[in-house]
Amino acid sequence: MTLIATRPEPGEARPYTFPDLQRVTVAGGTVIGAHLPGQLLASAMLMLDAGAARETAGREGTATVLAKSLEEGTRRRDSAAYAIALESLGAELSPSVDWDTFRVGVSAPVPQLLDAVRLAAEAARTPKLDPADVARVRDDEVTALRMDWAQPGPRADAALRADLFGSAERFGRPMHGDPTSVAAVTVDDVLAFHQSWMRRPGVLLVAGDLDTLDLAALGEAAFAGTEGDPLPVEPPLGVPVRDHRRVILVDRPGSVQSTLRIGHRSPERATPDYVAMTLAATVLGGAFTSRLNHLIREVKGYTYGIRGSYAMSRRFGRFEVAAGVQTAVTVPAIVDTLGEIGRTQRDGVTEEELAVARSWRAGQLSVEMQTPGSIVGALSTLVLYGLPDDYYPRLRRSYLETPIAEVSAAAAGHLHPHGLTLVVEGDAAIIRDELVAAEIGEIVDAQL
Amino acid sequence: MTSPSAPVVATGYPWPIETTRLANGLRVVVSEDRTAPVVCVNLWYDVGSRHEPAGQTGFAHLFEHLMFEGSQHVAKTEHMRLVQGNGGSLNATTNPDRTNYFETMPAEHLELALWLEADRMGGLVPALTQETLDNQREVVKNERRQRYENVPYGDAWLRLLELLYPPGHPYHHATIGSMEDLNAASLDTFKAFHQQYYAPNNAVLTVAGDAGPAEVFALAEKYFGAIEPVPSIPPAPSGQVGEQPARRETVTAAVPAPRIYLSHRTHPFGTKGYDAITVLAAVLGNGRGSRLYQRLADGKRIAQPDYIGSYGVDLAHAPAPLIITATAKDGVPVEELEGGLGEVVGSLVTEPVTEDELARAKALLTTAWWRQVSTVGGRADTLSRYATQFGEPEAAAYRLPQWLSITADDVTEAAELTLKPESRVTLTYVPEEKA
Repeated sequence: MTLIATRPEPGEARPYTFPDLQRVTVAGGTVIGAHLPGQLLASAMLMLDAGAARETAGREGTATVLAKSLEEGTRRRDSAAYAIALESLGAELSPSVDWDTFRVGVSAPVPQLLDAVRLAAEAARTPKLDPADVARVRDDEVTALRMDWAQPGPRADAALRADLFGSAERFGRPMHGDPTSVAAVTVDDVLAFHQSWMRRPGVLLVAGDLDTLDLAALGEAAFAGTEGDPLPVEPPLGVPVRDHRRVILVDRPGSVQSTLRIGHRSPERATPDYVAMTLAATVLGGAFTSRLNHLIREVKGYTYGIRGSYAMSRRFGRFEVAAGVQTAVTVPAIVDTLGEIGRTQRDGVTEEELAVARSWRAGQLSVEMQTPGSIVGALSTLVLYGLPDDYYPRLRRSYLETPIAEVSAAAAGHLHPHGLTLVVEGDAAIIRDELVAAEIGEIVDAQL
Repeated sequence: MTSPSAPVVATGYPWPIETTRLANGLRVVVSEDRTAPVVCVNLWYDVGSRHEPAGQTGFAHLFEHLMFEGSQHVAKTEHMRLVQGNGGSLNATTNPDRTNYFETMPAEHLELALWLEADRMGGLVPALTQETLDNQREVVKNERRQRYENVPYGDAWLRLLELLYPPGHPYHHATIGSMEDLNAASLDTFKAFHQQYYAPNNAVLTVAGDAGPAEVFALAEKYFGAIEPVPSIPPAPSGQVGEQPARRETVTAAVPAPRIYLSHRTHPFGTKGYDAITVLAAVLGNGRGSRLYQRLADGKRIAQPDYIGSYGVDLAHAPAPLIITATAKDGVPVEELEGGLGEVVGSLVTEPVTEDELARAKALLTTAWWRQVSTVGGRADTLSRYATQFGEPEAAAYRLPQWLSITADDVTEAAELTLKPESRVTLTYVPEEKA
């Protein structure tokens, strides 16, 4: 048997294109549509400037309770009738909340999209919000959060966030709140949030076959009965970083793995270094062949996977490494992780590694953007950060062409190995002494 | 009868399908679609954890990991670097039935993907070392910790399989395997495993997206044509399972709330009986309009709304499981939840499914089907499945119309036949007392 020994050369690449965009202004709002000819499914998302950042202190989770209350009936029909009307179109509502936005998404076969958007708007704009229902949804959400917080991860995430942004600040508290803050949410909080933030038109994003879809009709359905101007955007929070490391221990007795969340603050999404930072983080912890995954999974066998990345929103960003490692190797895994972060900050990236990062990031813009849902997600990025319609072709070129010196400079300037917070969620009785002996940084016990 | 709003669907696969078979037995399926400049290469090997003998549980899956660690002309770690470094996404999965490998690439890298797949089909053994085996064994043990041991209810699937299928049945043990067997895995066993099952005549290669059949057939011949077939590949043990009594297990563990899983053996995936189960599962437990949600999460309000549902696990080589699950709301005794679940499941026999319920379930299944085939990766995997399990990729087109042809009577009959309490498996988790 003879296998072909030589690796084949690539064929000729077809030019990259992002779907054609159409904009329609109707009923006080804007519809942005991406044309996907021949697609049998279509997606739509109503995006409102009503994110978690707008919640009142101590009532974190208000927007999430509202999101989950939208399907408890509208002024026109009760919850059972609503569910059956929507699901009989083959559609399901996906309301979600992030720091900057409140999103109500639906996808359905193309002929059903208009009716699905009408129902989505009915829930978003005119929910019944019966006090007894809202209170029950709130209680269910407290229970759901307790379920979620019983898994490894959410407590570690909360500890890292509190340390980086300050537990008294909204951005220092979990995006969807915690069991205590959600328990404190009142029916009036939820009604007031809807009244204050959900009645402006917002933006409707649509991806599908625009030869068949009527963007104006979709917009009229989404914006009916709305009023008000767009809200001003508040300035970024800045990037304070400590000059020493801190280790926060979150006890999880009996845990067979230690969950690591290691990070520091970083610039917001609008930073001019966005592409260079993304490429540097891809080399460090983004790709499967990244420095972290190679060393800690493939060479050492300490983990099933480890990732490092920058997450950026309108007003802030943060660098974070996340992994679950076997309890017995907690300290060696941390030491190796710190070593790779430090090396990347100090020495930058190599041409060979950068080539992988460039091609991967560029290729993902086609490979991971095949569905209406993923295209709607891409449109939301354009709207949220005020990016131009030809942003994705430009982003692709930047990934391929940003000079290596800029990428290494981004690593040097935006990684802070000596200012990291290291959250370790695991069996404290087993790992504490070793963590102390390793002298990674001051050790504190999480106050959760 | 379908609802007036549901589109009439004559086919679930409106793209072209071309097939050929190489002299060495490799089946090649091509589904051309030039819409986007991306292409998916997908391979199904007809080997899964159902083939594993006693003492070798977890080997098919551990082997899947080894397939990424280099082959005759591909150095260790190169596989991932070449796929991602050319813009692609890749992965592989193992289940009781089969093992699949797939990468979606910018279309100009089609040939690279085929070369990589051929090299590890035909040339893995020379590159397999003890060091690689030891490393990936640790990675898999970490996967087991992360996905099954370190999360509340994480071992439910492992326990359900043991309750559903008797010892010796190919589905009795879970694909992840046991720590003991993983520790005992020897290099020679893995070399033999590859030589036995990773043969062109035991695989289907599907290419979907920006590539045409003539080009793909020629490239398949070029890269895979020289790989020798394996003359007699032993089949997995029979999936026949006789009458089984009702079984029950209660687990006291560090879980945040009581949870119940009810499960039944139904029919193999691909049969009309299983199509009825698929529609039944959607009527019973898919979405807020389902019977379970309406009656237990809404209605009686004894179940947590985020954790209630039912679904079939699409296994093809034995009666596949239907799983029904609910988690108690605060203060609700687990007995009350089990009583409620039993009533709703029983209602499928005593209260015939209405046309509205049927139409809702079919509309959701229709969207789910189109979502599955909305990417070249989803299409390639679907065609590989139908070619592997039913001998013809074209059979993929029938699934959606067959779901849509299920009647209310079919669902009632399926419920009567398969959801009997006398053959029910009941797995209950209760929180341990806090010290």
